[in-house]
Amino acid sequence: AAQSGRCPDTPQETEMIRSRGQIKKVLCVAEKNDAAKGISEIMSGGRARRREGMSKFNKIYEYEYHLFGQNVTVTMTSVSGHLLGLEFKAPFQKWHSCNPVLLFDAEVEKYCPDNMTQIKRTLEKEVRQCQALVVWTDCDREGENIGFEIIDVCKAVKPNLQVFRAKFSEITPNSIRRACETLMEPDANISDAVDVRQELDLRIGASFTRFQTLRLQKIFPESLANQLISYGSCQFPTLGFVVERFKAIQAFIPETFYKIKVLHEVEEDTVEFSWKRNRLFSHTACLVLYQICMEDPIATVTSVTSKPKSKWRPLPLDTVELEKLASRKLKISAKETMKIAEKLYTQGFISYPRTETNIFPANLSLGPLVEQQTQSPAWGTFAQRVLDQPGGPNPRQGKNSDQAHPPIHPTKYTGTLQGNEGRVYEFIVRHFLACVSQDALGQETVVDIDIAQEKFSTSGLMIIARNYLDVYPYDKWNTKLIPVYEQDSQFQPSAIEMVDGQTSPPQLLTEADLISLMEKHGIGTDATHAEHIETIKSRMYVGLTADQRFLPGELGMGLVEGYNSMGYEMSKPNLRAELEADLKLVSEGRKDKRNVLQHHIQKYKTVFIESVRKAKKLDEALSPYLGAAQEIAEEQEHDI
Amino acid sequence: MAPEIQVMVRTTQAWLQSSQHVQVPFAWLEACMEWLQEEAGGAARLSQQQINRQVLDQWLLTDLRDLDHPVLPEGLAQAQKTELNGVFCVQVDSLLDVSQPAYGQLQKWRGTDCANDDVSAVTQYTQRPWEARPTRMLVLQVTDGVQSLEAMEYQPIPALTPALRPGAKLQLQGQIVCRLGMLLLGPSNIKILGGEVEDLVDRNSQGRVLCRTLGLPEEQQQEEEEAPPAPQQGN
Ligand SMILES: [Mg+2]
Repeated sequence: AAQSGRCPDTPQETEMIRSRGQIKKVLCVAEKNDAAKGISEIMSGGRARRREGMSKFNKIYEYEYHLFGQNVTVTMTSVSGHLLGLEFKAPFQKWHSCNPVLLFDAEVEKYCPDNMTQIKRTLEKEVRQCQALVVWTDCDREGENIGFEIIDVCKAVKPNLQVFRAKFSEITPNSIRRACETLMEPDANISDAVDVRQELDLRIGASFTRFQTLRLQKIFPESLANQLISYGSCQFPTLGFVVERFKAIQAFIPETFYKIKVLHEVEEDTVEFSWKRNRLFSHTACLVLYQICMEDPIATVTSVTSKPKSKWRPLPLDTVELEKLASRKLKISAKETMKIAEKLYTQGFISYPRTETNIFPANLSLGPLVEQQTQSPAWGTFAQRVLDQPGGPNPRQGKNSDQAHPPIHPTKYTGTLQGNEGRVYEFIVRHFLACVSQDALGQETVVDIDIAQEKFSTSGLMIIARNYLDVYPYDKWNTKLIPVYEQDSQFQPSAIEMVDGQTSPPQLLTEADLISLMEKHGIGTDATHAEHIETIKSRMYVGLTADQRFLPGELGMGLVEGYNSMGYEMSKPNLRAELEADLKLVSEGRKDKRNVLQHHIQKYKTVFIESVRKAKKLDEALSPYLGAAQEIAEEQEHDI
Repeated sequence: MAPEIQVMVRTTQAWLQSSQHVQVPFAWLEACMEWLQEEAGGAARLSQQQINRQVLDQWLLTDLRDLDHPVLPEGLAQAQKTELNGVFCVQVDSLLDVSQPAYGQLQKWRGTDCANDDVSAVTQYTQRPWEARPTRMLVLQVTDGVQSLEAMEYQPIPALTPALRPGAKLQLQGQIVCRLGMLLLGPSNIKILGGEVEDLVDRNSQGRVLCRTLGLPEEQQQEEEEAPPAPQQGN
């Protein structure tokens, strides 16, 4: 109800334009202090006056700027992420206050947490002097929602305030100037989607967490007495993937296979030909074919084909690829990578790092971005090569666009970053330069041979032009030399061997694998993958092996098995994926916020009631890991 | 037995041999024909042609072990290396694709194969052309009722499928290399005659053969054989 009247309709817009003449002072609010600082530095040309606000982390910057066709005084400040939180009303806040099932319907309200009240008071104080508010929060779902929190706080003090939204993807002069020239209305649909998500996360998380924690603490007092056993509709499917892979490995049965290998020594080198049949899981079948080869062990070259082969330069970088590649190539976790990327963004070094886009928009001029990088002693020469290549920068294009932000790219050169910040920045720059350069070119030669009607082949590779590989050490492509073979010629292999091997199970998931699975099943968004992974780690549901792969812990295994045995897909991604899909529709204005909320509350409530009814299954699944379950009395059971 | 019946039996036996290359013992054929005529309601009710057809159908559903009538050259399964020449009708007891792990085949068969197992974060994987998909190689357990041996799909045989009913009859023809008790089959070497053996259909269903290969306990699956469980996405 606090959000009514957010969306200016036509009469108000007319009013807005008529009253523009009266705007003398404008309040600008960014999502973080760093961003406020960077934006005001650009807008003021470095001449902003800085003063303290009531929160010591959020400074106030003042300067003159030409906005709405006139000179105005700008007061730029910031919040620190969300200004408001969502909580149950007082009677439902305590853990033992009610049966957790009531939490699906209990009243909730937005409130300002203690550590945010000083920021709120700064806004309330500053807005009194202003006629207009410009929201400069990050241009993503959360940012839009934070924007409405700011708007609500400000409008409560100053109801006739005019409200605008600045749209930008990077904190660079061009981008900030363009945002000022094209101020928009905040998008209530996007913010609504966040409200729905917050409320569902609160209700689902609190009800299941209270239920399972209270119950399991009583049933396994020795192992769990003081442990919070949290539930979240994203963290559980995430945990589910880890358990699923672990179980796949446990269930795996290795099998022996056999193959025929042909070696040909030419001078110093040995060429290995591999069998077209690859491998057989029958010893006799393989032995029969091997014997046939051995009776007539002359190889005839049946074809020699040589054709160009290229290794593609990478696609423009989106968030998920950044997380995966940083995890695999730099060994920096997704969470850490995103923290660094945010920082690089607020400092103006890179564009907004939360994006699903892997296509550079036509109106983004790549030349100047590449140009900036020519200063680098490490990759400057390569950047110059890109500028000099025919047609200049030529990005390989992907297929996705979130219509909000371009792919992640450097916006400014720096050579002073240290440690992981330096490594992530370097990666983003190299990836960008690689993506706008040229594919690596090679020539592949494939030689097919025939020995007693069994077919084998080998291939060689000549790299003709390394191109993007020169700037992108994260990809490997090696020349493989093989001797020249003439078609129809014959030779005697140096050895024909029958070798055996064993199939092996899949490996435990890496963080990058886990992100791929979350993305595939629509669990969380590119903005939240890293957090959900962090949660299941911090809850001790999963641990990491020495080579950084996810291993489920006993509690994690037991919980997933327990819920699975109830027959509900609690640890499966389906429920959550539907929810995410609906949130997307809400953000696009294609589904009604209230309907979506009600629908999913009902759905999870049904699952909850069933889970309580079948709670014994949870105890049963956990007791192999945590020891015998304590019997609890019937009447007590009703309490939890 | 009436001489005219004996004539009919000999006529059918000759027809089976000459047109179908099927050899059956006289006693089995005689019993089979008597039973067919009884079923039809009298000796004269069926024409020779009808009798022939129905006898063949019976043979297709018979376990050749019950006939105890060898047709393959003696000692074939023990020979290091030999060649089979001529036309022989045999029964396929079971079959298995040995180009792929049985574990993956069993998961697929049970509908528990999980696409998530293959997910890994490597974004750009290109299969090299020379690492082409291995071609299927079915290995068949065949018998003439007395001698059992294996037969491999040496060259792809499109007419064969893993869904072939256990106990189905095959006609082997042409020159067939046989090594270490394994026949090497190509597309021109076999003709599928059809049929099945009731006992074997259950005992040698794909699921059970795969379990046996993997050393797993065999599951009871009368119904599953009719309708394998609906594939559920293991996600
Ligand atoms: Mg943000």
